Amino acid sequence: MTEEVNKEELKQKVLEYLAKKPWQVRDLAKVLRVKKRELDKIVQELINEGKAAYWSSGSTTYVTTKDKLEEMEKKRSGT
Amino acid sequence: MTDVELPETPLLDELEKGPWPSFVKEIKRAAIEQEKAMKAGKKIKLPGAAKGLLKVLELAYKEKRTHWKHGGIVAVVGYGGGVIGRYCDLEDKVPEVWHFHTMRINMPSGWFYQTKALRAICDAWEKWGSGLTNFHGSTGDIILLGTRTEYLQPMANALAYLDKLYGSPAPFDIGGSGSDLRTPSACMGPALCEFACYDTLKACYEFTMRYQNELHRPMWPYKFKIKCSGCPNDCVAAKARSDFAIIGTWKDEIQIDQEAVKEYAKVIDIEKQVVKKCPTGAMSWDGKELKIDNRECIRCMHCINVMPKALKPGKERGATILIGGKAPFVDGAIIGWVAIPFIPENELIEKCCEVLEAIWEWWDEEGKFRERVGELIWRKGMDEFLKVINQKADVRMVYAPRNNPFIFWRELNQ
Repeated sequence: MTEEVNKEELKQKVLEYLAKKPWQVRDLAKVLRVKKRELDKIVQELINEGKAAYWSSGSTTYVTTKDKLEEMEKKRSGT
Repeated sequence: MTDVELPETPLLDELEKGPWPSFVKEIKRAAIEQEKAMKAGKKIKLPGAAKGLLKVLELAYKEKRTHWKHGGIVAVVGYGGGVIGRYCDLEDKVPEVWHFHTMRINMPSGWFYQTKALRAICDAWEKWGSGLTNFHGSTGDIILLGTRTEYLQPMANALAYLDKLYGSPAPFDIGGSGSDLRTPSACMGPALCEFACYDTLKACYEFTMRYQNELHRPMWPYKFKIKCSGCPNDCVAAKARSDFAIIGTWKDEIQIDQEAVKEYAKVIDIEKQVVKKCPTGAMSWDGKELKIDNRECIRCMHCINVMPKALKPGKERGATILIGGKAPFVDGAIIGWVAIPFIPENELIEKCCEVLEAIWEWWDEEGKFRERVGELIWRKGMDEFLKVINQKADVRMVYAPRNNPFIFWRELNQ
């Protein structure tokens, strides 16, 4: 039960970070002081839930929130 | 003659004048075909894309600068790779190519297609994209050039149901891009080549199917490429262009048919064209019998390539694993070096998967941002890497087994 609560808390925290800018999961894991593997799973869940999305700099893949992605795409496409 | 009006492109036209195939000519043809299809009432989402591309290219040559912006959106639902975002900064002048995203499509093992499949891909792409393709990209994928963000998902859906919607013999899937497992590729192997020392097609298929998550969900420090070559000729350039190269080889002796050698002796100078060109001097020919000191053979394949009817790879076949190869465009190319000297054919796929998973775990944990696995081995040392893959150091683990993977023997002789 406690583990579930912690996971939900972490998920929420991850979303807050992702909303600010695109992150590489490994960097975010260092900031949040969690194992990358653990964070990989959480990010994957957020992507499956449609809350997070992948974004690319051109050669490297980052993760951000859906809203942030749309905002950045608009900027990039010049709209 | 055609009544389709093409933009004025004096600089691009220069590229049509040489003796080589011209991409300009093909883009112009695509522009004409697109217009014809439109007139015929075909539903095309990006009319004028090829024409727009000609305009942007001409302007880029004129101004000596690019008008493309790279990166951005990377995915369709459930995927994190396979789409490379591209935008043009001339949206007001050339709105036809304002969005011009690339889609990478997972090619079949060995690049074997039925024409029906190719037609179906082209039909779908004509509808949802520019109609321009590139067969194939350097990783081996089918490259579909240019579509808008809103058509990425419908095109991905069209590929997933290509059999039902377009009559393809099979559906297709999106390939890899970004920091993920790139689409594994393989030479045509035993399907067409008698030198294949293992089933490259099966291996490639197995890796692709088993590692779908790694292929579609980029989570690593950077890209990772697997290439399967059936013999040391290395037709997919695995040793130079992949992080994990599986190159077919044999453990025993080259098979010699002495009668066939004598037949070759009637048409070629065996001493000059074969024996003298053996890089380790492992061969001798007395006019009757060809002898090979197999302990000295470095698998350069020259003798086998010159006399394929007389010489064959040995019977005890398998593969060598080379690690860390990469071929970036600008700087820092590395030829892979031997990590596992020999894995028997029947154990190959399982052993490769075991090693791959160990490497990925280590690299994912230790790798820096944009650090390929070869660079990580340089940084950490081969000793640590060998512990990761549970191998003991071996004299055959030579660094850069060949300085030049594409030795042209005729030139060497001059």
